[in-house]
Amino acid sequence: MTQRRIPYLILAPGLILLILFLVLPLISIIFPTFFDGGFTLAHYISFFMDDYNVGIFWRTIKISLIVTLVCVLLGVPTAYYISQSPKKWRGLLMSLTLFPLLTNSVVRSFAWITILGQGGVVNNTLMGLGVISEPLTLLYTEFAIIIGSVYLFLPLMIITLVGILENIETEIMEAAETLGANRLIAFVKVVLPLSVPGIIVGSILVFTGTMTAYTTPQLLGGNRNIMLATFLYQNATALGNWQGASVIALVMIVATLVVMKLFNVVAGRMDKRGEVSA
Amino acid sequence: MSYVELKDIRVSYDHKNDILKDLNLSIEKGELVSLLGPSGCGKTTTLRVIAGLINPNDGEFLVDSQNLTKVPVHKRKFGMVFQSYALFPHLTIRENVAFGLKLRKEKKNVIDQKVKDILAITGLEELGDRYPKQLSGGQRQRVALARALVIEPKLLLLDEPLSNLDAKLRVAMRIEIKRIQSQLGITSVFVTHDQEECFSISDKVAVMNKGIIEQFDTPEEIYKNPKTEFVARFIGFENFFQLTRVEEGKYKAGDGTIFLSTRQWETDKRTGTIRPDDIDIVTGTEPNENNTVSGTVKVRTFLGKSYQYEIETPIGALLVNESDDVIYQVGDSVTLSIPAHKLIIV
Amino acid sequence: MRKQIGLKIFAGLVFAFLFVPLLIIVVTSFGTNSTIQFPIQGFTLDWYGKVFENQSFVNSFLLSLQIAFWGTVLALLVGVPAAYSLARHSIFGRNWIKSFFLSPTIVPGLVVGYSLYQFIVIQLQFPLIQGLLLGHFLICLPYVIRVVGSTIEQLDGSIEEVSWTLGCTKLQAFMKVVLPNITSGIFASFMLAFINSFNNIPVSQFLSGPGVTMLPTSLMNYIEYNYDPSVSALSVILMLGTVVLMFVIEKTLGLASIS
Repeated sequence: MTQRRIPYLILAPGLILLILFLVLPLISIIFPTFFDGGFTLAHYISFFMDDYNVGIFWRTIKISLIVTLVCVLLGVPTAYYISQSPKKWRGLLMSLTLFPLLTNSVVRSFAWITILGQGGVVNNTLMGLGVISEPLTLLYTEFAIIIGSVYLFLPLMIITLVGILENIETEIMEAAETLGANRLIAFVKVVLPLSVPGIIVGSILVFTGTMTAYTTPQLLGGNRNIMLATFLYQNATALGNWQGASVIALVMIVATLVVMKLFNVVAGRMDKRGEVSA
Repeated sequence: MSYVELKDIRVSYDHKNDILKDLNLSIEKGELVSLLGPSGCGKTTTLRVIAGLINPNDGEFLVDSQNLTKVPVHKRKFGMVFQSYALFPHLTIRENVAFGLKLRKEKKNVIDQKVKDILAITGLEELGDRYPKQLSGGQRQRVALARALVIEPKLLLLDEPLSNLDAKLRVAMRIEIKRIQSQLGITSVFVTHDQEECFSISDKVAVMNKGIIEQFDTPEEIYKNPKTEFVARFIGFENFFQLTRVEEGKYKAGDGTIFLSTRQWETDKRTGTIRPDDIDIVTGTEPNENNTVSGTVKVRTFLGKSYQYEIETPIGALLVNESDDVIYQVGDSVTLSIPAHKLIIV
Repeated sequence: MRKQIGLKIFAGLVFAFLFVPLLIIVVTSFGTNSTIQFPIQGFTLDWYGKVFENQSFVNSFLLSLQIAFWGTVLALLVGVPAAYSLARHSIFGRNWIKSFFLSPTIVPGLVVGYSLYQFIVIQLQFPLIQGLLLGHFLICLPYVIRVVGSTIEQLDGSIEEVSWTLGCTKLQAFMKVVLPNITSGIFASFMLAFINSFNNIPVSQFLSGPGVTMLPTSLMNYIEYNYDPSVSALSVILMLGTVVLMFVIEKTLGLASIS
């Protein structure tokens, strides 16, 4: 019978470490938010009663949605282009996509500071051309967060999609064409539906990534365009409001799970071949 | 007592359905015994019980009068060949073959000699320094065999070893396996679902179905005298009809026709069966004679060397293979002779 | 392959979008002006020297290397056996346990760091650096479970069984047969985990203190108060690091194995 315990014994160290250093810490911060003498939801109710907080919550959701949408729009054709390229090109294009992904996010956000800032590339160029006389305020805006986040997550979307699109045989496209579809129709009617699982997985990654990102909103958003992650950090450090930070932490976790579930439900509706897992 | 004994082996994964039901099997020293049956019959499970990869819920397993039931797989010292060959991808052919010997901490010169010998026997001398992925399917098969044999196992276990080869190579390899097995005189258990392969290679065959052995006999005996309807169907009997027993060797069909059988019969068996090849289409025989039945041709199929006819008769539809000497048309009335020495009662 | 010109232009623009900002950084790192300018005036390599003169960059770089390395090693020590067990044994609640092992990716990094800081550092009085190491272990573990797990699943299980019949104990079989055949998966997961741990900011954000700052955090703090080309120079150095790593991965495993 000891033989049967071995599989569990070699799982145990990992399980114990996860319980001690992921689950218990999470419980230790979440638990107190439900107790104030007795069980209460007061902290969450007051969080969502406060216009300022709700504003941050919806801004986070709105920005994440826009970023996801832009990533899908830019990502699908690019991924399709990569997946249809000859093999030697495909490897190079994948490396080019992978490179930004493996580069530090501070570096990638910083790039947009140099582009969008007061004396940045965009303002310099436009002023040089005489299009504007005063520098535009591009940095520390929602627009800056969106473009920075798209820049951050687009490679992830493309790589996820290429993985799926590569498995679509070119014969399927050709079959559609022999049946009378032109290339655009074939793309919309055949490739797009088949890439739904990739779009869903990619969207989950991009949406939850944007929603919980800290670096980009911190560097590009400034103090007026706070998102949930930066709000959590602010509460915990600058304001010393640990309780509030913990409330935001749970809001972020729950929102992440809800989004993943929602996307999976949508995927289940659209893709009859079974549930997509991310 | 036989060399290998499986006694009342029961295997169950979920305590509800038994994979093996009180299975008994005896194998003599030096024999090659096949376990034959459709997928899910328990043949691979039986082999894995012998190997020690599965612990039976009940029963005993003995080799050479030693009870090995509780002995773990790595101490049994049996050679095993897997369907996928299971060669170690990171080792050369020589290292693959030497693997078991090194674990036994044998001297280097002894290992080298034994590996050299077995590579010679299996015709792999030239390939010792290659890696498995550089070999063809048949060569991999030989390596797997050499690796299992070099440890001089008490038992050689082969789990569908030929099923990944193409048809031609399969025939060549089974002759090869038989040659090496008899050359080394090693007791072997061979699992297969292919009856031709099984008959050609085995000293004895155990036909398995739903976790039990239906018949354990020589290939000839199983081919000629299947004991159960399952065995008969599995080895190519296609015509089955219900009979009532009149007396020893004498039976009556539903329409009153008397059938005589001179083959082995047991008193409780009531189903007559015969191969399509063994039925003759006759002319000039009076209907109502014993062992004859009249009918109408329904379907004719060309098989190459012969024609197959499906013939509707009072005792049911019968399949008959006939040479192309006389070709019958669909709708023809014919008389069929079912010879007493070919009619089996199961 | 026939190709639509529109699609080609579209993909070209997307790649331009991905690379022009990085190119601008590279260019600005050579400017002589004390603030970042584009286009640059003059040409100098001084800013690269300034990066190495900056003690906080150097120290945090060394710390990042160590934390990423040990976090990954710890994740491998715990994760490889776990991945093996999940792939090979009939574990009760297997899918749940696997999801549990992957769950650190679902919890936002900032929350992971925050909760570790609260529980481990404040309540249990662990040194900050241990909290940091544990946080990065949590980043690394899912990569190990996922990559090594799929490598083991692709490995023919009967090679282990055959090694048992040849006399290997379960442990010997793992060491002699399984391990040599999953080295590529282990290496790939090591690289992935290391890179992601090295680049991660959110987990480290709360687990920083005097003398305990990871390089990305250090860089981020520097950017808040400075706007000089040494930031560009450090960025270029980090990009070169990425190029070297990608080259190593391509030569050993092929980049396809990690994307």
